[in-house]
Amino acid sequence: MFLATSAANPLLRWSYFVEQWDRIAEAIFQHVQLTLLAVGFGFVISAALAYLGMRYRWTVTPITLFAAFLYTIPSVAFFGVLVSYLGLSLVTALVPLTAFTILILVTNILDGFASVPEPVREAADGMGLTPAQRLFTVEVPIAVPYIINGLRIATVTTVGLVTVAAIVGYGGLGRLILDGLRRTFWTPLTIGASLSILLALLFDLLFFALGAWLTPWARRKQTL
Amino acid sequence: MIAAAAAAPPTTWLAQVAVPRDITLVEWFTDPATWTGSNGIIASLGDTLLLVVAVILFSVLLSVPTAALLAHLRKAELASAWAVNIGRAIPTFAIAGLLVPISLRAGYGFEPWPIFIALTLLTVPPMYLSTYTAVKQVDPAAVNAARAMGFTEREVLLTVEVPLALTVIFTGIRVASVQVVATEPIRAFLGGDGLGRYVRDGIGQNNPTLVLGGAILIAILAGITAVTFVGIEWLAKPPGVRRLSGRADRTVAARKQMVGA
Amino acid sequence: MEQASIVVLIGPSGCGKTTTLRMINRLIEPTSGRIEIQGEDVTDLPATELRRGIGYVIQQVGLFPHRTIEANIATVPRTLGWDKARIRSRVEELVQVVGIDHEMLTRYPDELSGGQQQRVGVARALAADPPVLLMDEPFGAVDPIVRGRLQDELLELQARVHKTIVLVTHDLDEAIKIADKIVLLNVGGVVEQYASPDELLREPANAFVESFVGDDRSMRRLTLASVGELPYDQGPVVPIDTSPADARAILADKRSEWLGVTDGEAFLGWVDGTEVVDGVHLDDLHRFLPAAQVEPSSTLRNAMEVIMNSRTSVAVINDQGRFCGVVTLERIRAGLEGDLSALPEPAG
Repeated sequence: MFLATSAANPLLRWSYFVEQWDRIAEAIFQHVQLTLLAVGFGFVISAALAYLGMRYRWTVTPITLFAAFLYTIPSVAFFGVLVSYLGLSLVTALVPLTAFTILILVTNILDGFASVPEPVREAADGMGLTPAQRLFTVEVPIAVPYIINGLRIATVTTVGLVTVAAIVGYGGLGRLILDGLRRTFWTPLTIGASLSILLALLFDLLFFALGAWLTPWARRKQTL
Repeated sequence: MIAAAAAAPPTTWLAQVAVPRDITLVEWFTDPATWTGSNGIIASLGDTLLLVVAVILFSVLLSVPTAALLAHLRKAELASAWAVNIGRAIPTFAIAGLLVPISLRAGYGFEPWPIFIALTLLTVPPMYLSTYTAVKQVDPAAVNAARAMGFTEREVLLTVEVPLALTVIFTGIRVASVQVVATEPIRAFLGGDGLGRYVRDGIGQNNPTLVLGGAILIAILAGITAVTFVGIEWLAKPPGVRRLSGRADRTVAARKQMVGA
Repeated sequence: MEQASIVVLIGPSGCGKTTTLRMINRLIEPTSGRIEIQGEDVTDLPATELRRGIGYVIQQVGLFPHRTIEANIATVPRTLGWDKARIRSRVEELVQVVGIDHEMLTRYPDELSGGQQQRVGVARALAADPPVLLMDEPFGAVDPIVRGRLQDELLELQARVHKTIVLVTHDLDEAIKIADKIVLLNVGGVVEQYASPDELLREPANAFVESFVGDDRSMRRLTLASVGELPYDQGPVVPIDTSPADARAILADKRSEWLGVTDGEAFLGWVDGTEVVDGVHLDDLHRFLPAAQVEPSSTLRNAMEVIMNSRTSVAVINDQGRFCGVVTLERIRAGLEGDLSALPEPAG
């Protein structure tokens, strides 16, 4: 029956788009908010873990394994379990979203600092830079490309996962998708799906540009 | 039958799993009815495995030979990087959702095309990238020695580059496969079944036991997949490389590969 | 160590030469003993403050990849809080002194060659004008030709800036070439000898030193002095218009088979002594010009090389076209008996 109603159920009905703009805008806002919160918290946690890993070398493996474990937990399972015990709340959505960013961020932060060549560190010490000066004026800038790369991947992945978080009520544009699927009403589906894809690509481009802007020394060398 | 099934909206078309709310987890798992029947765990597991295996096989066939060949020829590096990046950015759930009406319009129904295509899109970029990088980074001395000994380009690729790159290629396949298994459950929300159905129905019926049970099943499958592939990776190492692997695995590059970053 | 001198630490692996160097700026903390710079114990100051007053150059340079060359050089002055104008002019000055192209200042380290990077490293170390400069195998990572050039530039630099330089190397030839004094260390940090290069070669303190400097130490010593530092011999060389009889007398006196002729200024060539007969003017005799001649600035080593390759067993000294004399093996041998580093500067 609904197959036959494709004329009344187009992929995108523009009037809907205009009428429901408030709802759509809200969904976009929530999507961006969740993404930024998850990546933000994830970054703070990852920076702390990375610091531990650099200070106490032996912690790197357990930290990496733990983060990998978190990453491997299937998103649906993670969201599902939390909603059953915590109900529909922002935390229910945010905890898994944050957890999924940690592996990427920790790995990239650690790699970033590992990429600082030993002679550079030695030269910095030899010139009388204090440990803090060395960290902030030498090591961090060199680690930045890796950190930005990590943030880029984490953010883009999170945009995708936020759509799945719709199953626990906090999914931003994912709610439109789910809604459309449940009602077999295609317009919200198309809007939600296209906008989330666009959002992901936009973030990707943004971080790419940010990375290029922050690393003028890498730009000169035309390597891949 | 099919026409009637296609006529109704998805939520009643999909056979829901009805479970009393006050059942405990152990009771649920030990009840034989949970496992058997068309809504049972075994049937759902079968659905999931079928899709996952199909996606993995298809992705491997699509990405590994192409990546190996292009890496050998040292071509399309920039294009590859961009393609991988864009593929990686696209949200799986969104693309699957978008494909649903298209699939329906074309007469294929809710399954399997939207989720199959979406999962393939998820899997191909990391597999392609790790294969490309692996083949490209094979010790150039070994490759040049082979060429100098008169190997044809095809022989170089198949008998030198690929075997030496195999460990990393398998790591890429492993990481991608675990991702597929972990993402497959969204299928239940796209008009399909599989192991994700228990979480779906559990949320819908407000039944924590059902959700937890489903979550455990999904998680176990993901874990088994990971372990199985680690085993395959280990076996796939050429004996000489196996002995060296301890130190190599701890390098930055190896770590990145493990993460699929 | 004497101020404004270049002291080279050298020795086999495990002798602690790098460790010793790094104790001076406390990258490694000494566990016993004292290190003093201009009377002050290095442990009196906080380590970071100490290091800002000491230049440090390492083999792989360690230029900050994320900063331009200019910013790299300016690192310590910036840390010390110099104002921009002063930093700018100091950087310009240093660029001249170490020999880098001005336009390289805006480039990044990975755009420079190994030799250029090393020069920048030296500039960076000298930026705050420290009295002491530490160098750890600074020229080890470049090819021999560039290395030779950098060594020469270091000596020229030192002539201008007069720093107290402590340099670690494993290359004995490098040590001999640039050092004012050499510290030869043995495994475990034992000082086997502390002496000028010539003294080290001439009078090795013990068997270890002797084997370390090798069998060819006399040959090595020859690189330390130049032709101009030894007295010139006239040799069997006469003006072209000398009479055959007088010429034969000189040949007999010098016991030479060959007779050299000049026109009063330039050297014209060698004549076979047996062809010098009465009645034949020297100018009419067949003569040949030697393939190689030496200059006052040539090392005795060069002179030796020329002598070995010459039929006449002497080397002609040619000072911008003017004949000055000859170098004989005997003269070189006599020179080796003395202290080659104590020779007077060549005259003229």
